[in-house]
Amino acid sequence: MKEKNNLTDSIYRFKGEWDMDSQCGLKIHRAKNGMTIVIATDLYNENPGTSVTRWNAPLATAIAAEYQIPHNKLYFIEHTPDRGSKLTFYTETFYHVSFLSDGEKLVDPNWEKLTREEVETMLSS
Amino acid sequence: MFKEIQVIRIRKPEKKIKTMKIKLIYPKWTKLEGQTHFNLPPHGPVVFAATLPDYVEIEFTDENVEPLTITDDCDLVAISMMLTTQIKRGWEIAETYHSLGKKVIFGGISTMLHAEETLQHADSVFLGESEGRMEQVLDDFRKNRLQKVYNFMNNRPDIALVGPARRDILKSELYYHKGVQMVDLFHASRGCRFSCYPCAVTYLGGREFRPRPLDKVIEELETIQNNRLFIVDNSLAQDTQWEKDLFREMIPLKKKWCSHTIEDKPEVLNLAAQAGAWYVYQAVFDTSDYIKDRIKMYHDYGIGVEGTILLGLDNQTEDDILRLIDFLLEIDLDLAEFTVMTPFPHTKAWDDMIREKRIFNFDWNDYNAGKVVFQPKHMSPERLQELFYLAWDTFYKDESQAQKMFKLFRKVIEKEIEDGTYRSRRQDLADISFGKKVTRGS
Repeated sequence: MKEKNNLTDSIYRFKGEWDMDSQCGLKIHRAKNGMTIVIATDLYNENPGTSVTRWNAPLATAIAAEYQIPHNKLYFIEHTPDRGSKLTFYTETFYHVSFLSDGEKLVDPNWEKLTREEVETMLSS
Repeated sequence: MFKEIQVIRIRKPEKKIKTMKIKLIYPKWTKLEGQTHFNLPPHGPVVFAATLPDYVEIEFTDENVEPLTITDDCDLVAISMMLTTQIKRGWEIAETYHSLGKKVIFGGISTMLHAEETLQHADSVFLGESEGRMEQVLDDFRKNRLQKVYNFMNNRPDIALVGPARRDILKSELYYHKGVQMVDLFHASRGCRFSCYPCAVTYLGGREFRPRPLDKVIEELETIQNNRLFIVDNSLAQDTQWEKDLFREMIPLKKKWCSHTIEDKPEVLNLAAQAGAWYVYQAVFDTSDYIKDRIKMYHDYGIGVEGTILLGLDNQTEDDILRLIDFLLEIDLDLAEFTVMTPFPHTKAWDDMIREKRIFNFDWNDYNAGKVVFQPKHMSPERLQELFYLAWDTFYKDESQAQKMFKLFRKVIEKEIEDGTYRSRRQDLADISFGKKVTRGS
């Protein structure tokens, strides 16, 4: 993907459900429209703890706090990478997750599927 | 001459004083429609019981084979749950004990899968593996400071601490069908390095394969009187050398066993057969030669195969399922077990379906892998349900499940007669099936 204005592209470690040691891939991109795009990538077997989807709201809250992203400027994307499996349920997916904010925490996730092209367009802006 | 008289004082063995009574309960669940119903002795409760201190007296009830009598003559109630379909019954039991003023602690696999909800019905939930932890929990209970959650999900005990399981808490006669004893359950490892789509085992037992020390495994196997076992490890096919060492050590025991999948390497199969492999479960997910060849290989070594067939995956159309059913009839499976895809919490299947808003039924009693609770990708839920019944009916059309099971059972008897371990059925239980009187031929 062509990426500009990347704040980070790394492995992000977090405490998942029941404090389980967990990790995901993390890309953060500041878009020209003032939104901050956060892509959390599920690491499957390389994640010893909770999945991104299961923990998206607390994870997004923690990332927003750590990178000082206002909740109304956060555009959170869940990414499951292609595992190279012949099984279709391990192909790549992107979902935009919108949350409600109570000021402190993000809650009540709602998913909307995105194509790779849509994500690439966002990242090139 | 007087012989010197030696006075030997025979010390009576000290009777361990039991100062706490725990009522341990394994809730009942409704079995899959149309399937032959066998009740196997549960594994979780006997493994848990081994982690309790000596001062604990355990009174165990498996509600699947005997009615639960609720009385207040215990100090603490422990509810052990394995399946999602057990949890609502578990919660119900807890509420009844609460009305008697008893405290209830929950543990086991489905407690971990449904911990947040179970907390609403529990005085305490135990998350993780209980080896080396229960002294602390019971000490808290005695001091009236039982914690709401004992969370050891991130802190697994040394695998060498596991076992031997306390099978003595089981009323063994309840696990006989017409004089034939059911297999005893046993495990040689925990954790799984695979992360399969519909499976939550990596959440439950960790992504690392954790084999028990072989000497401990053999020591426990030697204590099991039952000659027939179900090795319930998630998969034995995790480490070839370990697998071979395990089978080699098991050969002298002359046990006969079934298990989940094992590797199809000739050297592994050869040792498995010598170690008493009776039959193995094999997932049949497509109609490829790979599956056909694998089943043939097992058979070549005298090992039976029960196919496990999951219906309703996103890559299956109606035609695919119909083709799969036909394929099963061609590949000489000894038994087949059909289930419908069920998105259990803490699986990738759950994550995918939640994102796509495809789960329409959250009644945990229906999460028995025989009822469609989600919107399949290529057909209606009703059609998938029909195909599920069609699969069972078609596979067992010419020979019933009971007949096929009997053939498999005959194979194990032949093996036992050959190596001198065969024990005939118990005549005193010939008219009893899982504790209930039955007429012969029923």
